[in-house]
Amino acid sequence: MKNLLQGINEGLKQAMEADERVILLGEDIGKNGGVFRVTDGLQKTFGPKRVYDTPLAELGIAGAAVGLALTGLRPVAEIQFSGFSPPILDQVICHFGRMRNRTGGRNTLPLVIRLPQGGLIHAPEHHSEAPEAYYCHTTGIKVVMPSTPEDAKGLMIAAIEDPDPVIYFEPKRLYRLIKGEVPAEKYSTPLGKCRIAREGTDCTVITWGAMVHTSLKAAQELEKDGISIEIVDLRTLTPIDIEGVIASVKKTGRAVVAHEAPNTGSWAAEVSSLVHERAFDALKAPVERVGSWDIRQPLFKTEHFYIPDAHRVVRGVNKTLSRVGAVR
Amino acid sequence: MPFTTVAEHKTEHLSVLSADGSFDASVAPDISKEKLLEMYTVMTRIRVFDERAIKLQRQGRLGTYPQILGQEATQCVPALCLEPKDWILPTYRGQGSYFARGMQMRYSLMYWGGDDRGVQYPKENNDLMFSIPVGAHMTQAMGLAWGEKLKGTKNVAVCWIGDGASSKGDFHEAMTFAGVHKLPLIMFIENNGWAISLSRKEQCAAETLAQKGHGYGAHSIQVDGNDPLAVYKVVSEAVARGRAGEGPTVIEALTYRISNHTTADDASRYRSNEEVEEWKKKDPLDRFRKHLLKTGILDDAGIETIQKEAEEYVVGEVKAYEAFDKPNPLNMFANNSEKAPWHVIEQRAELEEILKEKQIRNEIPELPAAEGRFP
Repeated sequence: MKNLLQGINEGLKQAMEADERVILLGEDIGKNGGVFRVTDGLQKTFGPKRVYDTPLAELGIAGAAVGLALTGLRPVAEIQFSGFSPPILDQVICHFGRMRNRTGGRNTLPLVIRLPQGGLIHAPEHHSEAPEAYYCHTTGIKVVMPSTPEDAKGLMIAAIEDPDPVIYFEPKRLYRLIKGEVPAEKYSTPLGKCRIAREGTDCTVITWGAMVHTSLKAAQELEKDGISIEIVDLRTLTPIDIEGVIASVKKTGRAVVAHEAPNTGSWAAEVSSLVHERAFDALKAPVERVGSWDIRQPLFKTEHFYIPDAHRVVRGVNKTLSRVGAVR
Repeated sequence: MPFTTVAEHKTEHLSVLSADGSFDASVAPDISKEKLLEMYTVMTRIRVFDERAIKLQRQGRLGTYPQILGQEATQCVPALCLEPKDWILPTYRGQGSYFARGMQMRYSLMYWGGDDRGVQYPKENNDLMFSIPVGAHMTQAMGLAWGEKLKGTKNVAVCWIGDGASSKGDFHEAMTFAGVHKLPLIMFIENNGWAISLSRKEQCAAETLAQKGHGYGAHSIQVDGNDPLAVYKVVSEAVARGRAGEGPTVIEALTYRISNHTTADDASRYRSNEEVEEWKKKDPLDRFRKHLLKTGILDDAGIETIQKEAEEYVVGEVKAYEAFDKPNPLNMFANNSEKAPWHVIEQRAELEEILKEKQIRNEIPELPAAEGRFP
């Protein structure tokens, strides 16, 4: 049994063993092994020429990853907290997703940016954000987020081997919380494929990252009332596994999208829109979104009333189920 | 044509106090006895607060906390060189700067205790809430200095940053503007040797961080940051230059982060204990105490009184912190905008409903009234 953090670490390690072009860079990732210890031991194993402690400059790290990738290396850069990632958007938006196209396919960016994501870890301000929508909105890049140790490893290897830029969100609340079997050999979890985290019949909950586990808890609550929900763990946020998502919604006839970010302009809005566009005939009720409130994220004493808990997912599911008028 | 020298820059260092508390009168600042006592009193309070905060964190009564230990002079002394209408923009570690300007310690504890009602500075002060993302406040400080200049005041802005933040592009942008417009900005680099696990040497290849200022036409100087007299002198002079319209100053203050980066960090993973022990010998409070004793400004009894009063004061602040009601979760909706939009009004109503449900199910206790302005 390994936890999610160990899954990521093993993914990085095996990708580095398999391909000497893979190098890591970021603040405090070498000697210190990262503030969460995700890269623990990697500098010792691969040396300071493969695992770099960078100066404190997030935009510099992202731009460096572009340059390194253009020289044929495969950089994996860590931004310590996704709350500190806004400066890198300059490179992500203006260059990551555009380089291949504007150079006619000549210059490509096989790089990975690792971003610890999400809240409820009792941390200070700006250490708990869920900014995935800012990235998903950017064309030309992929965005992934695991929720199990097995996927954490497989998605990391797939992200590193992918020929285009991948943003790899790490739901940090799960780092040590979630344990599971992780196959020992090197394997990749395909990008663009969702996973059914739980089978059910009455409503589909589409979710990702730590909210997969919140939704699993909600499923137990709902089961007491005889309600069976199916949980789709997106794993790749973009490109979304449209077939997998639509198949589940067609089966249950209802959908809720549960996530940690505020609803307005969120990735949940995109998922909801896609479901309406492509499974309208199968829907017995409009798709609900369960997200954080559209306000500044509060400090940790009241954070658990900001980020949805299982109770709020239950409310969302009940809301779709109570839409009697919508049943056709 | 031969190469010719077109610019030459020199970077000076100032140290006034020796380790034993003796001082070089030729470079000592002109400073009143009252000011010296104020500096020592505030520094003592900061030290006691810091010790107490760490204990609270270990007992689970406070969240992650960035320790001040060893940086009392660099936090407190610049703040005491200013008027209330001057702007201060401390780092997240810089609670001591707010304390020096009169913020009650209870509000610092509240913030690090995860309560949004924390960090409340005195109304008459131009103190600004610190930025948790490193260095984002540098360009803001430049803008503040610019605004004061445009308004024709004599107010200056002091921006504290760490050695790490001096690597960010924001530093370059802030100083470029400040140099061009001759802004009353003081960029005070608290070089404490470590940006979490990255040493100063790994952070930047230049011999000093002070010399970066030359690139922007700023007056630039390095100072012993554990020497309150030297810090007072260079900051006072920088403030005077700013008020006189002579432009920005970059000050690099050499100090040391004696403790971990925060309570979530373990510095033994990346630095030697010997280095820490060496720096402990340069403790700013010890040096200052020796100086005050040597010059007869204080005697042992006076030192003891200040220490005792500081302890009593901090105990009182901790009590006040713990006496606050738990925050009502609805507080988070207050003060997000002048007028709340429809969806936020709906969401607040939903949270209100959820809280009632949770109360009925005995999952949460009775809540105090919601605070703050809504909508």
